[in-house]
Order: sequence, then C-alpha cells, then structure tokens
Amino acid sequence: MTPNENPAADPDQERSSECPAQAASAEPLAAAKTTTSRRDFLKAGGMLSLSSLMGTGALMAQSDDARAAIEWAEHFQGNYRLMTPKEKAEARARLEKRYSAEYAKKVTVDGTEAQPNVLMGYALNVRKCIGCRRCVKACVAENNQSRGPDAGQRIEWIQVLKMERGEFSKEKMNQGYPEGLGIQVGGNAYSPAGAVLEGQYHYEPAAVPEKDATYMPIACMQCEKPPCVKVCPVRTTYREPDGVVVIDYNWCIGCRMCMGACPYWARRFNVANPVLPKEEMNPVTHYLGNRPRMRGVVEKCHWCLQRTRQGRYPACVEVCPVGARKFGNLLDPESEVSLILARKNVFRLKAEMNTFPKFFYFYD
Amino acid sequence: MKKLASNIMILAFCCGMISSAFSAEEVTCFESRKGASEVTKRDLQPGWPNVKCSPKTGAVLWWGDPFDGTVPLGDMPLLASIPAGKAVVKPRAEKLPLLAMCGTACHNGVGPTFVPPTLPKDKKPKPLPTMEGMLPDAKNLQHGRGGIWCLDCHHVTQRNKLVDNFGDPVSFDQPQLLCGKCHGDKLRDWRDGIHGKRIGEWASTGKKRWFLCTECHNPHNVQDGARNRGFIQIEPETPPQLPKGMKNAKHELLHGVSQH
Amino acid sequence: MSFAPDYFRYILKGSMKFYAWMGFLAILSAIALYGFYLQNTEGLIVTGLTSQIHDGLYFANLVFLVGVAAGAVTIVFPAYVHHHKAMHEVTVLGEMLAISAVIMVMLFVFAHMGRPDRLWHMLPYIGIYNLPGSMLGWDVLVLTGYLLLNFVCGFYFLYVKYSGGTINKKFFMPLIYISIVWALSIHTVTAFLISTLAARPMWFHSVMPIRFIVTAFAAGPCLIILAFLTIRKNTKLWIQDEAINLLSLIITWCLGIALFLTLSEVVVELYARTEHANGLYYLMFGLHGLTKLVPWFWGSLIAMIVAFVMFLIPSVRTNYKLLPIASVLGFGGIWVEKGMGLVVPGFIPTPIGEVTEYYPTMIEIMMTIGLWALGFFILTILLKGAIGILLGEVRYGGAAAKPIDVASSGKTAAYESR
Repeated sequence: MTPNENPAADPDQERSSECPAQAASAEPLAAAKTTTSRRDFLKAGGMLSLSSLMGTGALMAQSDDARAAIEWAEHFQGNYRLMTPKEKAEARARLEKRYSAEYAKKVTVDGTEAQPNVLMGYALNVRKCIGCRRCVKACVAENNQSRGPDAGQRIEWIQVLKMERGEFSKEKMNQGYPEGLGIQVGGNAYSPAGAVLEGQYHYEPAAVPEKDATYMPIACMQCEKPPCVKVCPVRTTYREPDGVVVIDYNWCIGCRMCMGACPYWARRFNVANPVLPKEEMNPVTHYLGNRPRMRGVVEKCHWCLQRTRQGRYPACVEVCPVGARKFGNLLDPESEVSLILARKNVFRLKAEMNTFPKFFYFYD
Repeated sequence: MKKLASNIMILAFCCGMISSAFSAEEVTCFESRKGASEVTKRDLQPGWPNVKCSPKTGAVLWWGDPFDGTVPLGDMPLLASIPAGKAVVKPRAEKLPLLAMCGTACHNGVGPTFVPPTLPKDKKPKPLPTMEGMLPDAKNLQHGRGGIWCLDCHHVTQRNKLVDNFGDPVSFDQPQLLCGKCHGDKLRDWRDGIHGKRIGEWASTGKKRWFLCTECHNPHNVQDGARNRGFIQIEPETPPQLPKGMKNAKHELLHGVSQH
Repeated sequence: MSFAPDYFRYILKGSMKFYAWMGFLAILSAIALYGFYLQNTEGLIVTGLTSQIHDGLYFANLVFLVGVAAGAVTIVFPAYVHHHKAMHEVTVLGEMLAISAVIMVMLFVFAHMGRPDRLWHMLPYIGIYNLPGSMLGWDVLVLTGYLLLNFVCGFYFLYVKYSGGTINKKFFMPLIYISIVWALSIHTVTAFLISTLAARPMWFHSVMPIRFIVTAFAAGPCLIILAFLTIRKNTKLWIQDEAINLLSLIITWCLGIALFLTLSEVVVELYARTEHANGLYYLMFGLHGLTKLVPWFWGSLIAMIVAFVMFLIPSVRTNYKLLPIASVLGFGGIWVEKGMGLVVPGFIPTPIGEVTEYYPTMIEIMMTIGLWALGFFILTILLKGAIGILLGEVRYGGAAAKPIDVASSGKTAAYESR
C-alpha cells in the first residue's frame, strides 16, 4: 500500500502543483488509478486510527466482565443532586455492588441528606497545634484516599504548615539607602533586615513541636461563598444545605477549574487509578463523602460526611492529641464551636477573598 | 539416618511456621499519652477494628467505637445540665498498674506510723527508694516550680486516691476535681468542650467520651525542662508525598524574600 | 453534491514532498493517539501534572492556540472592513487557519481533561451547562461558535467559488462581521478563564485580557506569514506582497504593545515585591533555588525583542528572506511567554505557599508535538483545498466548466502577477 503503485501515471502529473494548466481530471484514467491507490492508503490509515480510537473507547469502558455492565449504567447516570430519590437509591446500590466486589467486603454507600437546622462549623486552636500530622493520617484512615508509592498516588486532604519564628540579621540592621545619599535608616527599603520564613510542609523532625515553630493545618474551608462552586462548568461541586461543599465524583469531568479557583489549595486530583488496599478500605461510605474515587476526578475534605450526618465527629477532630480541633453546629448556641466563636479570639484565613469560610482558627 | 534428620528438620520448620502463625501478633497502640493510654487492637465486627494504629508512631488514628470500654463520668459541680449517660470516660485506674497495690502494700491503708498521722515538718518528700523508683524526679517535681509537692495531690493515708482541699479523697477517675482547683480556666473550658479532647457525637446534646486530664497530661512532668508546654514532645507522622519530579524538599529550607 | 469528492480528490493529489510532509505529521499524530490511550487507561499520572501544578503543557498550548485562532481576524478585518484588496484575495486561508487552530484547541482540551469520556456532562439538557457562572462554560460556547462561524463562512465562500456563483452578501457579510467580533471574544473569554481566579495572584489582574489579545495578534500573523510564504513557494497561488506587509505591520504594533505590557507587569510586580509576585519571580529568577523556567523566560524575551526590532526596521520587515526568521522568533517567543511562561508559574507557589516545580514527561511532550502535528495535518488539508478552489483547479464540472467569476476574488490579479 504505497503511494507509488501505478507505473502508468504520467510523471508530470505527480508534480501537479507546478504545472499551471493541469486540472485534476485532465487524464481521467491515470488520475483515477493514481488517486485510488492513494485513497486506499489513506483509507487504511483512517481505518487504523478509527480502530485505535474504538479500541481506546473499549478499554476506557473497562473490559473486565464483572464490572462492565454496572460501569455502563454508572457511566450514563445523571447528576446526583438532580436525581429522583429512586434514581439516587439505584445509583448507590450500583456502587455498593461494585465496591463490594472490588474490595471483597460488604460496602455500604449511604445517602443521608442534610439534617434540618444544622450548619456545620469547625474551629482549630492554633496555639495548641503541635504539628504531629495525626489529623492527616486519621483522615486517610477514614476516607479511602489513594495511597500508592508512585508520585501522585498518595493523596492527603490536610496539609500542615510549619512556620518558624524569624530573626533579624545583625548585618542588615543598619543598612540604609545606598551610600552618598546622606540618609541612614535602620533596615533597608531594598532588602529586609528581618528574615521572612515562608513555611515548610515537608518538615520531618524527630519530635514535635520544635522549638520556635508553630503549626497550622489547612484543608477545605467549606466556604459559604465558594469560588470552586462558581467555576465548575458542570455543577458537579456544590454546597449542601448543612454547609458542606461536596463533589459528585461520578459527574466530575476533571477540568480542574475548581482546583485553580480555591484560595486554600484544598482540592486534590486523582492523576492515577487510586491505589487502595482491600484491608485498608473503610466500608462505611457516603455517596458524597468517602466512597472510593476513580482516576481523573477531584476530591477534597467533606468533613467526614459519612460520620457527621450520622452525628459523629470527623476523624481529624477525634484524633487530635492536643484537642486543638473542635466541630459542631453553628446554629446551636451550646455547641463547642458556637462557644468558641463567642468567647475566643477567632480569625479566618484569607478573609479578604470574601469566601466566608466556616473553618475558623482561634487562639486562647 | 540422613532421611530421618531431614524429616526432623522439615517438621521443626513447619512447627516453627505454624506456631508463629498461631501466636497472632498483638498490636498495641496508645490513645493519647504513650505508656499511659495503651489499647489493644481487635475486631469489633469482622473487618471493623476497634482502633486503627499508625505504623510510624504507634498512636491511635481512628476509633471504630468511641465508647468502647467507657464508664459514665462521675458527678461534677455545674455539670448537671448534661443528661445522664451522655458523658463517658475511660477509667484511669485500668492504666495505672500499681494503683491497686498503693492502698494495701507498704501503707496497708493507713498513713505513716505515727499517731495521729501528720505531715513531715519541712513538707519535702523523704528520699525513699520505693517512691523514687516510681517517680525519679520526686525531689525536683516538674510541676509547679517548687510550689507544690506530692501530698498536695495525693491523699496522705489512702494512697490509691487523690485529695481535695478539704482532705476528702478524690478518685483517680475524676482528676478534674483536683486539677481544676488550680487550673480553673482550663476546667471551665474543658467542661464546655473547648479545652481537651472529646470523641463521639458532635451535637451538644450528644453522647461523648471525654478525655480526662491525666489521659493527655503527665502530672509529674508538665514543665518538661525549659519547654513549659504541658506536653512532652511526640514523634510526628510522615510528611506528604513529594510531587512528581521533585527529588527532595530542601528548597523549603531556603528563605524566599530575604535571600531573593 | 460533487463538492466533497472533488475537494478530496484534489487534496489527495500531491508531490512526494507533500506526501512526505503528511506522512511525517501522520506518524507524530499516531504517537498522540497512543498518548491519549495511555492517559485514558492509566490516568494523567503519565504526565508531569500534580495537584500543586495541575495545568501544564496541554493547557498552555490550548491557551496559545486560542490566540492563534483569534489571530485570523488580522486577515478578515482588513479584508472586509478596510477592503484591503490583497488580503481580500486570501481571507479564506485565514478562516481555514482559524478552523484548524480551534480544532487543535479542542484536541488539547481532550488531552487536558481528567475524564474526557464525561465531556457530554457539559451538553445542555442532557447534562448541566453552567452559564452564566462558569467561565469555562462561556469558553466552550464561544469556541464552538467561532468554529461554526469560520466553517460556515469559509466553506460557503469556497463552495460559491467552486460552483461559479456569486456570494450572497446579505447572508455572508453579517456572519463575517460577527466573526470579527467573535474572534476578540474567544480570546478575551480565555483570558477571563484565568484572570478571574482570585486565588492566583499572578493572573488576577486586568492586564491579562489585553495581553492575550495583543500576543494573539502578534503570534497568529507570524504563523500566517510563514504559511503564506510556504504557499508562495510550493503552490501556484501567489499571495500579494501587500497582504504580507500588512501582516508584518500588525505584528510590529502588537509585539510592541505586548513587550510594553510585559514591561509594565514586571515593574509593577517587582517594585514592591510582595508575595503575590512570587510566581513572576519564579519565572524570572527562580524561587527557593528552583530555576527551571528561568532560561525559557529570558530566551523568549530576547526572541521577542529581536523579533520586534526586526519587524520595526522597514527594510528588514519587507525582506522576505529575513521575515521568516523574525516570524519564527516572534511565534516562538510568544509561545513560551504565553504558554509555559504564563500557565506554569501561576501555580508556583500554591495558594498556601508550597513551592514545587513542573517536570513534563516524555509522553506529555510527544503528545503535545503529536497534537500540533495533527493540527498541521488538518491545516494542510484545509489550506490545500482552499488554494485549489481559489486557483480554479477545483471547479464544479471540472476543467470543461465556464471560468469562475473572478471579480470578487481578485484572482485575475493573482494570475496576472505571474
């Protein structure tokens, strides 16, 4: 199948672009023979690409027999929030079947809706945090994140920032404007006398808290005016009535606009097929919460929806060894968080962004 | 002969394998304070453990049942508002192995052998090997900077109890009645859930397991040298995975603005 | 309808050079298809994307190519609004470029998405289409509209030329005028896509849309000039000097403004040197010792300045031996500055201060090259077909038909100049 199969063709015709007067149909027979062979060649090429595309499609649909039928129905389900209760129940049942087969244990996918008169809120005592990262690991123990060895396969929703006390460098204390201008001032308009330390995420000391260090964990702030919700082109991420910003993982197209919009870097992307060993999988899941995700979708903290909608604290709150994390109902004046907001010195991160987070930081 | 020897070796090998399989490893991790809050991992239901432990530090990361092994919190002033059974604790007595002996060994439930039992005139602990064996820092108590001593907290005769200002015994399972004497602001915050740790239900009327003072704080060592934090340092968990392509995180140690 | 068979028959006729070029592009495209297969089975882990830097080569190229597509307006506008005769002859070639550029944008979107198999979620009624909230929703709307507009305008014109009729101006001219404005909108909306993200201080300023437009109007014409010079050399269609010179003039102006905007950004950000300038600082000097993009920035800046100076000097601008060099420098410089040099530093550091670097993998690079090759493949086909019709070699009824109405295409001038 080469283009030069036809010896009968006029060699001049091969260079048809340089012969002004030669039209395409000047020598019909020879032309037809020439174009047929080239057409065949291109047809074959077209078939090859078409079949490879189809093959791609087939592979994308997962060729494993046991999951093929379920995944087909799952692929064409609609947006969860717009489903009827019956459709929602079907979607959850499909997922339970799939997860139970995949993880060799009975998995439940709950669909509990938001309870009335509940607006969840969170408070974290920055004076207390010692940077032990147990909240990070407890979250992973509860929420079925991917945890593989390759870069990008380990996802953690909470990041703990270590900030050090800075220092003033003696050499720079009396540096003023450049010499000769007759003005000497302490510190320097061009180069600061104080060393600004921008913080570390990958600190690994033998023991925490380290001397002269403070720590601040950051995860999704569950904003009241979430920038991520606004930019989603398919409305797969949205704010539930009890205040949590959730993601319908089956509807997410993986465009990552929400990740770009979040001022707190709260969202993570599944670059790979998630690696989740069967023994470590938490079988009690919620559709919008900790059910195992798939490649190519965005995930983030959802305040342990599967627990909080059943009335239990999120995993990070329970594990914190210094009791820095508090969680409760902002509409209940007797809840721990409401009392903190009433009594303590409270602030929010990046308040100037006007995102109105419901994750408050405080100190006492 | 050779055949017998090899058969014996195979048998011994198999026995070793089987025995190691049967002696199921007991995984123990600590809930709050290492050495004072251990719990053994077991399955509450198939596939649902009571705790999940951290492979790196041995700390409990997750509770399957937050109320496992708890008893109701005893009566406390100003806590009448909490409905019965909603506040539970894990008894401290289980974690203090010597406690049972304290009331009976050495003191036999009575005080020193003078009648009536009085405190030593100089209120300094006597250098007794048994006491120093339990608390090496007894002579230099890391709590209060020399302002308090043993019998300010421990009952003078009933050594398996703590004591309040009126000389009445306080159970080890209610240390807040004692600690709160001096640390009133912490007591108030603890009572409202702002200080300290609770697991269980988040609703203000929900059932919670409250962590007692001594579950987190070691009362014999709160100064920890010059650190003065109330906690000793603990081992942290592992840092996040490095993003693709980054070989290490050394760049975080370089300062941004000042070094341009 | 003999248009399609005639059209394709003409395209399939070509020299060895043509087939070598198309074969080369086809091989590269096949690599892209393989990369696409890998991404849809293993996930984007085969690329260098991370949660920290989650838009890389694909997004950079798609943003740049929207600009190239918008750059077609530099032909359409003078041709129809200013009635520039030389441009008028070759307007349809600009439309063909716009079509292939938008197709390339869509290809890169497919490569960039985490779940391209779920893109149907964006269709209205079957899925959810978030307008007016989502900028990406607007972007899809304007890009699809632009593709349709150029397709209709371009192929209507070609069909009329092919069948020897006259253009129905009542139908055609409004579409042309709409497409001119629409070209501006596609690139403005793409700029809004990133400039409305308050979390990204490197992008969150109002200079972004105008920067996008001027760099588009500089880079698009650079590519068009290269295409025109190639067409002159390899086909019978002679594109007038006036057309090429007008494009060079447009490039001069737009490159100048683009450099001015770059200068103003550098001055404003680095004067106070707040932490909001960290992204730009990373690009220019490196941050925390990480300097991977620094040579790219300075290289692109030098390329753009050299290109600008070359375009500025009239004797160089009209020297068609030096012009390709200037065009390549301009195109390349803007590709780096607007592509990798804008997209990647926007993510460094993350909004909470983590500094990381982006290391594109070989698969990612090959896929990018392959998708460009596929785009050029389509571009070559479209240009060839259009040239054939413009030259009259593709005519309804073959050579025996009556001569094409050349009045509105100015083709007589093209023939006479040879």
